[in-house]
Amino acid sequence: MPTGDDILLTLSGVSKTFGGTVALEGIDLAVESGKVHAFVGENGAGKSTLGKLIVGVHGPSAGRMELDGTAVHFASPAQALDHGLVGISQELSLMPTRTVLDNIALGREVTRGPFVDARATRAAVQAVMDRYDMQVDLDARVGDIPVVEQQKVEILRALSRDARLIVFDEPTARLPSDQVAPLLALVRQLAAAGKAVIYVSHFLEEILEAADTVTILRNGRLIRTGPTAEETHESLVEGVTGSVLGEQYPDIAAPDPATPPVLSVRGLTRPGVFGDVSFDIRPGEVVGLAGLVGSGRSEIARAILGADPATGDVRFAGGAAGPTVAARLSAGMAMIPENRREQGLMIERPIAENVTLSHLKRFSGALGLDRRRERVEVTEHCAATGLKYASLDDPAGSLSGGNQQKILFTRAALGEPALLIADEPTRGVDVGAKRSIYDLIAGMAARGTAILLISSEIEEILGLSHRVVVVSRGRIAGELAGADLTESALMRAAFSGT
Amino acid sequence: MQKTILFAKTYGILVVTVALFVLLALTTDGFFSERNMRNILDQQSGVLIAACFMTMAIIAGNFDISVGAVYVATPLVALLVENATGSIPLGILAGLGAGAVMGLINGFAVTRLKVNSFIATLATSFIFFGTGYLVSDRAIMRPESDGWRDLARSRIFELTSATWIAIAVVIFASILLTRTRFGRNVYATGANREAARLAGVATDRVQMITFVLLAGATALAGILGSSRAISAQPSDDFSFIFAVLTAVIVGGTSIAGGSGAIWRTVTAVFFLAFLSNGFNLHQIDPIWQRLIEGGVILIAVSIDAWSQRRSG
Repeated sequence: MPTGDDILLTLSGVSKTFGGTVALEGIDLAVESGKVHAFVGENGAGKSTLGKLIVGVHGPSAGRMELDGTAVHFASPAQALDHGLVGISQELSLMPTRTVLDNIALGREVTRGPFVDARATRAAVQAVMDRYDMQVDLDARVGDIPVVEQQKVEILRALSRDARLIVFDEPTARLPSDQVAPLLALVRQLAAAGKAVIYVSHFLEEILEAADTVTILRNGRLIRTGPTAEETHESLVEGVTGSVLGEQYPDIAAPDPATPPVLSVRGLTRPGVFGDVSFDIRPGEVVGLAGLVGSGRSEIARAILGADPATGDVRFAGGAAGPTVAARLSAGMAMIPENRREQGLMIERPIAENVTLSHLKRFSGALGLDRRRERVEVTEHCAATGLKYASLDDPAGSLSGGNQQKILFTRAALGEPALLIADEPTRGVDVGAKRSIYDLIAGMAARGTAILLISSEIEEILGLSHRVVVVSRGRIAGELAGADLTESALMRAAFSGT
Repeated sequence: MQKTILFAKTYGILVVTVALFVLLALTTDGFFSERNMRNILDQQSGVLIAACFMTMAIIAGNFDISVGAVYVATPLVALLVENATGSIPLGILAGLGAGAVMGLINGFAVTRLKVNSFIATLATSFIFFGTGYLVSDRAIMRPESDGWRDLARSRIFELTSATWIAIAVVIFASILLTRTRFGRNVYATGANREAARLAGVATDRVQMITFVLLAGATALAGILGSSRAISAQPSDDFSFIFAVLTAVIVGGTSIAGGSGAIWRTVTAVFFLAFLSNGFNLHQIDPIWQRLIEGGVILIAVSIDAWSQRRSG
């Protein structure tokens, strides 16, 4: 454990239990000012809980916390805030309909008598922005600015309250991939200004890039803390999962090129979004649909499913694709949508209902739903996809990100689809779950399902796809396969139209 | 502890209702008598019929304020046709048909015009109340044939026909919601509309059907009400929708959509009925009844909010 004048906060023997579940056990930790300290671990490892404990969202069940050498105990986030400890969570706590200025100044407005002194308030906020060299348009409505700017607003709000330690909880989970770098720069900037920064994430690349110190958590225990410089991607994966991962991507045999395609898209167009998109996928083939965020790749996928209107020709399984989502699903399409919480799952409904949502027809008879048969088949398919749950009646939201994603895979697998459209299938899942999702995709491809894979992670696209269709500004900018399929060729094509 | 909270959260309304029932049965003369029980069932039949389908509409993610107006207007349409033709079945059919059309209008406004359901049905309330004045020429209407009064008042095994109809509707609606594909789609539509759509659920059609069922059921309740009163009159009376909404909300169906159950609403209907019946038997001033009732509702929903927070 480091000793020195820079130590701001120390935890000794800190534990946390929820009901009967142990979330954290015997954590000893020191956090230094001027450093970015990352907490890394799989979902459920306790990293978020630890971050929340520090900023007073949870109180520790045992152990002690010292700030500047004095024991502290926070009963609420407000008390932690009074000591200069601030948390910035995944879901931002801003008022989207108010201006940036109103949001930053909230509760700290300069007043004269009963009135808010608007000019002095603005000057105070401007002074904070200048001091940390972090500029945002104060008059913009928060709801209108990009997420990374919104995070800046939260940071400024923390700074204007004289924050000394800022905890970022999965700040990039909801961020488009091109906004990750600016956020990491912000994080570095805060440390350079002398703040202690705690960065909770399961994105190993981000941690390797931005953190000075890294603490690995697994199953509520602290595995090790050390300088990031001594860690590599492999050593982190090993620490996080507790096992050495073999080959990261499974081998998927390419289908015979003579096999006729199961999906043929010709001249698919949605004015202003994408145009003249044409490609084929054969059974058992994995085709990557790559491109920058905003290039139209997800919109193309949705149009293939029939969820958005588009002109052009979609031929599927030997005929013209039906007019509705329902028709295309029953013809054998399946989709894992881009955002599982917003587009995929009913987060408060039982797991079983989430799995069978697209397949209720097969459980329906003259006497209504056959719930016993539904349960049997869901249990079987969950076992096949490795979905771990306590009870099928638990809400989907009670599961980890990886297991939530597996609900969607189980739903897809239940229909034995001829085509699976997987849009960002591993977003927000931990390292171990990632590999099992790759295996699921490989397994479906091996059984003859055509896979259309969309991902912001180029490695993932390269590691899994037989062929990659690159989209740029709504147009196909290239089709890469075999030896031509390299990261640089892919990036060149992705940027070609911009 | 967690199990206790979960139990309280799930069955709280049932526990409270049973407790109130036992309390009143032990302390209040005339409460637990056959006649009083029969009366309560008969009085609540209209609210029960509409509240079942209000529960369904709310689970699908929509409010329907226009139920108050549908309840007033549809029996007037029914009596208009009955007076003109002398046929009771034609009158009933016209009333139910008018309800279905009103439901279609609500559904159209919400799914096609994309108006927030609360606002859309507030607007259609005026249209439907106005329709009531139009068809009745602003006068009380009475049925031509004596048979009209038998619709709600016939006795079958000691219970009124209105009671039997309400029981049948409750069972039908419960089965529809819990045992069929349509019911699942209702929950899915309210829980996450976009996810449901991408999973192949025709969410617009589901919402449309819940509006039509609700307005149709309300028309049935309205016709039974006109049979009990042997008349119907136009008004701007919102009291029916208040009774229906109160039952759904006290029962614990989430106004956010996606969760809730018909048994909860049915239980809450009886909770509220026992409460006001107890007041009456103790001859408490109706003004105080209102004040206390409002307080009880507030307590009920805050307990619900508290338990949701605890478990969440």
